[in-house]
Amino acid sequence: MAGEKKSEERNDQGHKSHRVKKSGASVKKKSKSNSNSNEGLTKEQKKLNNPKAFAFTSSVKAKRLQSRATEKEQKRLHVPTMDRTMGEPAPFVVVVQGPPQAGKSLLIKCLIKHYTKQNLPEVRGPITIVSGKKRRLQFVECPNDINGMIDCAKFADLALLLIDGSYGFEMETFEFLNILQNHGFPKVMGVLTHLDKFKDVKKLKKTKQRLKHRFWTEIYDGAKLFYLSGLIHGKYTKREVQNLARFISVMKFPPLSWRVSHPYILVDRIEDVTAPDKVHMNSKCDRNVTLYGYLRGCNLKKGTKAHIAGVGDYPLAGISELADPCPLPSAAKKKGLRDKEKLFYAPMSGLGDLIYDKDAVYININDHFVQFSKNDGDNAEGINKGKQRDVGVELVKSLQNMKYSVDEKLEKSFMSIFGKKPDNAMANREAEMQEKDVEFGEDSDTEGEDSDTEDEDSKKDSTSDQQPPSQSNFKEHIDILEGRVRRKAVFENDGDKDSDGDEEDDDDDDDQVSSDNGDTERDGEENASSDDSSADEEDQEDEMGNASKWKESLAERTALRQNINLMQLVYGKPASKSSNDVEDISEEESDDDDDDFFRPKGEGNKKSKEGSDDKDVDIDDCSKFLSDASKKDWNSEVAVASIRDRFVTGDWVKASLRNHPQSGMAGDVDDDAVLGEFEDLETGQKYNSQHVGDLSDGHMEGDLDPEERRLLKLANHDDGNNDAKSSRGQSNGSGYFDKLKEEIDLQKQINMAELNELDEVTRVEIEGYRTGTYLRLEFRDVPFEMVENFDPCHPILVGGLALGEENVGYMQVRLKRHRWHKKVLKTRDPIIVSIGWRRYQTLPIYAIEDQNGRHRMLKYTPEHMHCLAMFWGPLAPPHTGVVAVQSLSNNQASFRITATATVLEFNHAARIVKKIKLVGHACKIFKKTAFIEDMFTSDLEIARFEGAAIRTVSGIRGQVKKAAKEEIGNKSKKKGGYTKEGIARCTFEDKIKMGDIVFLRAWTQVEVPQFYNPLTTALQPRERTWQGMKTVAELRREQNLPVPVNKDSLYKPIERKPRKFNPLVIPKSLQQALPFASKPKDIASRRRSLLENRRAVIMEPHERKVHALVQSLQLIKNDKLKKRKLKEAGKRKVQEVERAKEEQLSKKRQREERKGRYIEQEKMKKKARRNSD
Amino acid sequence: MGKFTYMRLKGSQNIRLRLLLSTISTTPVLIEDIRTDSTWPGLRPHEVSFLRLLEKISDDCVVEINETGTKLKYKPGIIMGGRHLVHDCGTSRSIGYFLEPLIVLGLFGKKPLSIRLRGITNDSKDPSVDTFRAATLPILKQFGVPSDGLQMKIESRGVPPHGGGEIILSIPIIQENLKAVNWIDEGMVKRIRGVTFSTRVSSQFENTMIHAARGIFNRLLPDVHIYTDHKAGDQAGKSPGYGISLFAETTSGCYISSDTAVSYARMEEEGEMDEEEKKELIPPEEVGEQIAAALLGEIEQGGVVDSSHQGLLFILCALCPQDVSKVRVGKLSPYGIQVLRNIRDFLGVKFVIKPDPSTGTVILKCVGCGLKNLSRKIS
Repeated sequence: MAGEKKSEERNDQGHKSHRVKKSGASVKKKSKSNSNSNEGLTKEQKKLNNPKAFAFTSSVKAKRLQSRATEKEQKRLHVPTMDRTMGEPAPFVVVVQGPPQAGKSLLIKCLIKHYTKQNLPEVRGPITIVSGKKRRLQFVECPNDINGMIDCAKFADLALLLIDGSYGFEMETFEFLNILQNHGFPKVMGVLTHLDKFKDVKKLKKTKQRLKHRFWTEIYDGAKLFYLSGLIHGKYTKREVQNLARFISVMKFPPLSWRVSHPYILVDRIEDVTAPDKVHMNSKCDRNVTLYGYLRGCNLKKGTKAHIAGVGDYPLAGISELADPCPLPSAAKKKGLRDKEKLFYAPMSGLGDLIYDKDAVYININDHFVQFSKNDGDNAEGINKGKQRDVGVELVKSLQNMKYSVDEKLEKSFMSIFGKKPDNAMANREAEMQEKDVEFGEDSDTEGEDSDTEDEDSKKDSTSDQQPPSQSNFKEHIDILEGRVRRKAVFENDGDKDSDGDEEDDDDDDDQVSSDNGDTERDGEENASSDDSSADEEDQEDEMGNASKWKESLAERTALRQNINLMQLVYGKPASKSSNDVEDISEEESDDDDDDFFRPKGEGNKKSKEGSDDKDVDIDDCSKFLSDASKKDWNSEVAVASIRDRFVTGDWVKASLRNHPQSGMAGDVDDDAVLGEFEDLETGQKYNSQHVGDLSDGHMEGDLDPEERRLLKLANHDDGNNDAKSSRGQSNGSGYFDKLKEEIDLQKQINMAELNELDEVTRVEIEGYRTGTYLRLEFRDVPFEMVENFDPCHPILVGGLALGEENVGYMQVRLKRHRWHKKVLKTRDPIIVSIGWRRYQTLPIYAIEDQNGRHRMLKYTPEHMHCLAMFWGPLAPPHTGVVAVQSLSNNQASFRITATATVLEFNHAARIVKKIKLVGHACKIFKKTAFIEDMFTSDLEIARFEGAAIRTVSGIRGQVKKAAKEEIGNKSKKKGGYTKEGIARCTFEDKIKMGDIVFLRAWTQVEVPQFYNPLTTALQPRERTWQGMKTVAELRREQNLPVPVNKDSLYKPIERKPRKFNPLVIPKSLQQALPFASKPKDIASRRRSLLENRRAVIMEPHERKVHALVQSLQLIKNDKLKKRKLKEAGKRKVQEVERAKEEQLSKKRQREERKGRYIEQEKMKKKARRNSD
Repeated sequence: MGKFTYMRLKGSQNIRLRLLLSTISTTPVLIEDIRTDSTWPGLRPHEVSFLRLLEKISDDCVVEINETGTKLKYKPGIIMGGRHLVHDCGTSRSIGYFLEPLIVLGLFGKKPLSIRLRGITNDSKDPSVDTFRAATLPILKQFGVPSDGLQMKIESRGVPPHGGGEIILSIPIIQENLKAVNWIDEGMVKRIRGVTFSTRVSSQFENTMIHAARGIFNRLLPDVHIYTDHKAGDQAGKSPGYGISLFAETTSGCYISSDTAVSYARMEEEGEMDEEEKKELIPPEEVGEQIAAALLGEIEQGGVVDSSHQGLLFILCALCPQDVSKVRVGKLSPYGIQVLRNIRDFLGVKFVIKPDPSTGTVILKCVGCGLKNLSRKIS
């Protein structure tokens, strides 16, 4: 197969065409089979040609087949889900997973090489590349421990399962598959490697076949399994990598329900932004970290909580949008991707311009990008002296000139530094210097060799030397104006920011980030203001400053301002979060008195009435609001006329105009609603509607860009379709499915149209950051271990939490032990579950639902059945998949996934019960009443069980009445005896015996332990296995403790003595009174037996003769009978054989006859077909 | 138990709204300074009653109130719903006060809710039960709430001060989530309907009100029908009173309502006010005219709902899936604004508020928070 494909490809490329083999074994084989078909048909072939083979004969069967077909078709359909992503999607994550030594990193390297033509030294962290004009990919290598696998399964869009072909499947593959299946099943593709280890072709073929079929059974028939045949120069063959890349490039990624409802970020860069002095003081202090990555899933709003997998839940302290480090190529119409656009971005891998390290970021500057060199400094000093040089440039230059490190210098001469640059002695410069010394000290080491080459370079192009000092900044500016940022600039900037962002306060930091942003200037400023928590005044200034620039679109501006005003009225200033911001509002109102119209009446009253919070805080809450409009005199003609058009008796055209958006709002739906009304009238109004439509169109065309217009058109078009369909009637109903799809489509278009008309800042406020944007997330007070033990090979996943998902409670899941896990699971044994983004250890209680809806506790999970499990933990919405593991260690040979489950519901109260059997003994028995002791411990307990059914061992049923009064059962205190509590008076249906044991069977609530322990695997060295709560069995094993045995519970052999019954003795007096028949007949036993038994019989001679004759006659008869039987049996056998022969013959004849007929028929048919052609 | 971070709030304003949003978003709240400076500090009876109602319909919610009632700690549980629940709403506020949050809570329960509420059915402060049935329930239908199982039955009426009314409310649960709306076409008023009621007074009052109201509508619309609902005996509650509730239905299925009820004032309020002034009740013809005028006022304002339903509309919009909902309302009412602010605080949903100067209405847009019915059990 592969060979053919290859040859075809060669054909495409204009290589030698394929020559058909003309000799050899395969040709002979082919020709043989061909010739057979040509001449007469072999038996097998004949069989195949039976036209009735697959036709149905019975109508029942036909119906069944038909229903099956329709069912299959329906099964294929899924409820369409809405894909709410807009704009460029984030790079698709390709997770490469496989057992160790399967060739994961090599595959990634080869793919990267294929896409970008660059060599990747090592694979660490996610690697983003541009793979096509519309597609970016992010490669991640899945670490080999189960935690990493679980995390990877949660963000993978495509999983490449690498399988060592020479070895066969390994557990890791199946474990990963299982995890994938339970966390929403992304696309999966198998890749067989190490196929060059097979020397025998036949064996290779067979292995491939075997592995493929095994793979299919696990996923679905026809799942793609890719073969990488071998290595050439330590790499996979180019052709195969290319093919694989092609498969990846055409893959579609359907949305997964969990992921489309939760935002998540695969972190591809991490920074520690803690104030360094804090770290210096205490290296174990909580850190502030920033995580970078593409936003996926759904939009991320500010103020959402996030879960960092392996660390815990943290509120997002700050989000900011950064320029895409790996942008898609601009949408110029051309074929393919140019080399320049084949970007890639892998900050953790140490490739590209930014080398990532645990505590610092190194900038790798290409030779021809180097701007600062000593040479340049010497040359240009004279030229640039006159000009005002940039502070930064100055600083860097001075650093370059340094002989000693800054530390040394500081120690040595305090004055020299300050004397050199008196003008730019900043307040924070000292701190700055302290910061820089660490980095540049190291830099100078690493770039010591580079400096020589730099020198040479600068000599070469000395003409451009005037530029360099300010070039980096300059370039930045240009880029911002263009609206796009080139990668290099971003990196340098980022590097700068990282190095000095530490000592600056957050404010500055944010500003820098926003300038990095690379959008238009306005955007940047707005971003900053939105980020900022305390920049109210600045915000206003910004507006003022921007106003001058916006003169050209005055109308738009006023509209915008109005909008902001009304929103500000409601929400107050962006800084004020609390809802009691009366002062703010009053301020606002004094500012804009002109739009009196839009000010709610109540607000104004409030202002005039009171100015303080106190009364407003305690305002009566009442949804009803009587405006003074009610005071209007509706008897006057003017007043009536003013609302005349709001009634059906009024002017319809005016009313429709009223509903029509005027101020540039895209009313795409009310549009058609209005049109619908016109149709109701069915008179000459059609023209009017047309007119309205034209009006609106004309209006819109003015301020909508073509893209939006297209969308609107689409939306309108869809509406038209819907209307047409509904008017045609539901009878033809193209199906519920199509309707759903259409609805979703329509909604999506509406969303797009509505959101696109907003300006950037409001849009972010309303819908959050869109998927696909590159975000910088800041987290405060993260444990230092996260930074300390950070390992780029283990991807970090940040998942957003929806409303209520940070709460804890009892969760009920439907659980099934994995069939490959060897043991059943025990109630209350800790397991590690992975739900949603989280992984945590918890103690489940297993249960099963009885027929009456009772949840009965199970000690162990059923062998092959689903059961319920209830455990305590952070809540996850119903339908979420769960994977449970028991141990995290890597050295375990067996299958590590113990169970899989789905969340059914959650609760705050557990309702699992177990059976309880109370045992008591009778202590006093009246007629049918008895006092039962030992069953209850107190009278209070008895009160709870009043009326409960009880039973004795012998089956006598009864009921608990009340606690026994002391007089009856016990001696009262007065009488000297102590009263015993817990004696119950019970009644039975019959009198019970003293020895009877009385049972009370009841149900008791089982407490689900309130324990959960989040897995903090990211806070420890990755190679160490996380140790949580141990199972009891483990503890016993460790401490060498035996399993406690309750002696009473052991089974002992039951020894029953054979019962001895005494003879029945009837008293003499009774015997005498009995009638004779009933009297025991006392016959004395004889000592000797009777004569009849004892005597011998001697026959007469004649008698003996007769006897002998009879015996011999009988013998003869028996013998005859036997012989006849034998004979008959033989005859029957022969007959049967004959009959069988005959039957066979006739069958054969019939079959041949039939076959001949069919062949004839077929021939006829063929002839007929030929004739018809 | 784990530790919770409480959202700290101040003051008694919108306590019902805050508790509602807190329950829906499962955010524990800590409200301080509840009427600390007032003559009667602390929670009012109706607020306590509302807390009891929350406890009744939810599972494991924790309410802690300090001795003076000026501080409230509320940790929401899971909304359970259930059938045959009974709640006494007391007489300090009418049932309408409880209905508004209850209808939203009921949608997100584990089981459908059917509850019998006792108290005041009609008063002048809160929307009456008639309005609720006629105008509020149709709003829910716009958001894709199944209409079967969504109903309210008025068993008996009760007006302040002693109440004695009773209604049965049943609300279905939503299966997954609500449906985003694009509801900006207010349409034209095609019919006006209404109900007048009278308890323990002559039924002649109703006729007078109807006559007065019709007199105003007659110039605008012929299709006006106002029904009478005279209650007597047990069904009439414990106090005399009468009232009217009107609603206008538009061509696009919007309902705009206004209502009031007239009765003797409650005891506590009586103490505050001058006795002579308020002793006299408003005559029925004036009531009819007033409410008719109020309805016309609401119609004039425009918007797909009237001003008293703005809050509910905004809450429902904010609870929609992450699609754009777009609604048109008249002037924003103070309560509406409070709702918007609280929605921002609790659900993190902000609205884009744009005036439509040509009509004097306001168009609000939002992307819902995508709340699903999490407490629902799947089999």
